Amino acid sequence: MTPPYSTVESQLESSLYKIGIPPRPAILDRIHAEMQKDEPDFKQLSDIISADVALSASLISITNSPYFGLRGHVHSTREAMMVLGLNITSKAIAGIAMRHAFPQSPHLERFWDASARIARLSGWLAQRITKLSADDAYTFGLFRDCGIPILLSHFPEYTGILKEANHDAARSFTDIEDIVLPTNHAVVGYVLAQNWWLSDETILSIRHHHNADILSTPAIPPSMNSRQMIAIAQLAEHLLQQHSGLSITQEWVKLGSACLHLLRLAEDDIKKLLAEAIPVIEAEN
Amino acid sequence: MLSLINQNLQAPLNDPITGFLNRTDCFDAVAQLASRATSERPLSIVWIALDRIKQINESFGHQGGDVVIFQIASRLRNKSGTDALWFRMAGDEFVCLSPVGNSELAHQFASTLLNEIQAPLPLNNLLLHPSASLGVAILETDETPSACLERADRAMNSAKRAGGGRVESSSPEAIPGRWGVHLAHHELQIENQLHLAIGQGGLCLHYQPCVDNEGRISSVEALMRCTSHPLSPNEFIPIAEKTGLIIRLGEWSLLEGARFAKRLAASGQHTTVSINVSRAQFSAQNFPQTLHAALLCADVNPGLIELELTESLFMDNSSTVQTNLRATLDAGIKIAIDDFGTGYSCLATLKDISAGKIKIDRAFVVALPHDRRALSVVRSIARLGEDLGMLVVAEGVESQDQVDSLLDAGVHIIQGYIHARPMPEESLLAWLMNRKNT
Repeated sequence: MTPPYSTVESQLESSLYKIGIPPRPAILDRIHAEMQKDEPDFKQLSDIISADVALSASLISITNSPYFGLRGHVHSTREAMMVLGLNITSKAIAGIAMRHAFPQSPHLERFWDASARIARLSGWLAQRITKLSADDAYTFGLFRDCGIPILLSHFPEYTGILKEANHDAARSFTDIEDIVLPTNHAVVGYVLAQNWWLSDETILSIRHHHNADILSTPAIPPSMNSRQMIAIAQLAEHLLQQHSGLSITQEWVKLGSACLHLLRLAEDDIKKLLAEAIPVIEAEN
Repeated sequence: MLSLINQNLQAPLNDPITGFLNRTDCFDAVAQLASRATSERPLSIVWIALDRIKQINESFGHQGGDVVIFQIASRLRNKSGTDALWFRMAGDEFVCLSPVGNSELAHQFASTLLNEIQAPLPLNNLLLHPSASLGVAILETDETPSACLERADRAMNSAKRAGGGRVESSSPEAIPGRWGVHLAHHELQIENQLHLAIGQGGLCLHYQPCVDNEGRISSVEALMRCTSHPLSPNEFIPIAEKTGLIIRLGEWSLLEGARFAKRLAASGQHTTVSINVSRAQFSAQNFPQTLHAALLCADVNPGLIELELTESLFMDNSSTVQTNLRATLDAGIKIAIDDFGTGYSCLATLKDISAGKIKIDRAFVVALPHDRRALSVVRSIARLGEDLGMLVVAEGVESQDQVDSLLDAGVHIIQGYIHARPMPEESLLAWLMNRKNT
């Protein structure tokens, strides 16, 4: 269970927090402001982050996770920042803060845990099989489906729509949402990610992550990096489902071959990758 | 050619850690190149500054820093091939001269170098994630190599100021911008700054109140401002429109403005927030989806949002624009016609438009109160608005004389410095509070 998130919470505008809207936290603005200086003051930044025990614990834990460094070697925020660098630190904090910007709700816990697992494995896969940066793949994994909790909170019927979309092996996930709703979770996530000033590539990946045409056509935009990011997260989700033996979604049926093509992998490579990925999947973060 | 220069350098004293030539050698090599004709010397210069070496030295000692530099230098040498000449300019700065005369290839080459630098690097049982700022310049005709070196240095500094971990190209000529549109050099600079501003979250909205003829605040208009770079909206909006970036900016301001409307309402001010939507944004097929997404994320009453659309959009009979107009109204959002009077409105079409507001272009307002012809136009627009049941707004109003003549002509709402300049959110809230109390 995550400890209370006092400082970040207080930095969120309280009126917005009460009604469940996730604005970009002020701590990210402070990190960005520091990054713009010729000589960023690491001490001041690590003091800001350390002041929030939960935030700094999450940052240290991410730094020690298998895809960022060697497990268990970083013990302080400052060390974590040293190992990650400011760019990655700010992305990692965006990911942590995003989850906590949403109201804590027991029935969303499983959703967030699944996103975190996909994010971690995406980070590892990015390093293992592509030239994508692990932190971009990780951030994308975390933000990819952040439109879902927003739609759940506005449309009572969305639970049923999700179930239908998850079980449909033919129609695109967002097409099923579009029949009933005025928008879909990919567009909501895209708009939210823009507001958090995530990178262009991440934003476009969120928007198109269920779009089979985009994945299989070398169209511009989005860039190759964006498309690979989508493929990495889909592969991560697939490996996790293979490992658990539960096929909760049908996305691999619809997008799998395009993803493998984008990542230059053959069907046979999946087993080998899964064997290698097991320590990462089973690692407790 | 570069290998020849390498041989000509007097007993080069290679740096013991990197094996690279030193700073003086770099200036010598550049001076030698100056004596050759430009056509014979395709040259690109990449200036690299490693990020955070100071902190690595602090945490792991200078020996640790040296190990990092040694490993990065080896990666760079392996990646760049035999045509490249490497120099160590300072503790954490390197320069690479290579015979590449094409700016796109040079940028690609520098990006490859950055990828090499950014690969995780093991040190004392940890994996460090090094990063660097890279500046690239291609030697131009009639340019001295030392001027080119300076440009590479400046580009590197610009990459550093942007937060590092990136490649910046310096180019004096018009080259395709990131979105493939050909831009003049100064436009390209603005586009780059705009990209940097977006990357750093360096944009915000300012708000200007509109006051009706009874002194009440009828709405506030959201106007985009750049906070991270010295760019005025008059500079960056046209470039954003030219390059397509305006869609990204518009989508961002839609949610930002909607969120502000929600905050205003939460503070007891149920004031409409007007948000500008560009033609490109409104003509996109998926506009209704993004609009709904913004409303959901902001969790705002759509009745508190108004979209300002330019006059010419209403004359666009394309099915997408018409569908988007209907979708906007169906969502419960109000519509205003912006910059009215300078476009190509067909009055016959105006009767079918479901806009609730007309904003008279400021070109007519600045001519008031003395220009009788401008006043006639304003009076006609006001009467037309009145007859069609639309509110009429005059923007850019600066003096009391203008206010008097506009109200006399039948204008309902005044927007301009006479009441308030566009201001940040906190200032507007204070302004509104102050006005309430007096």
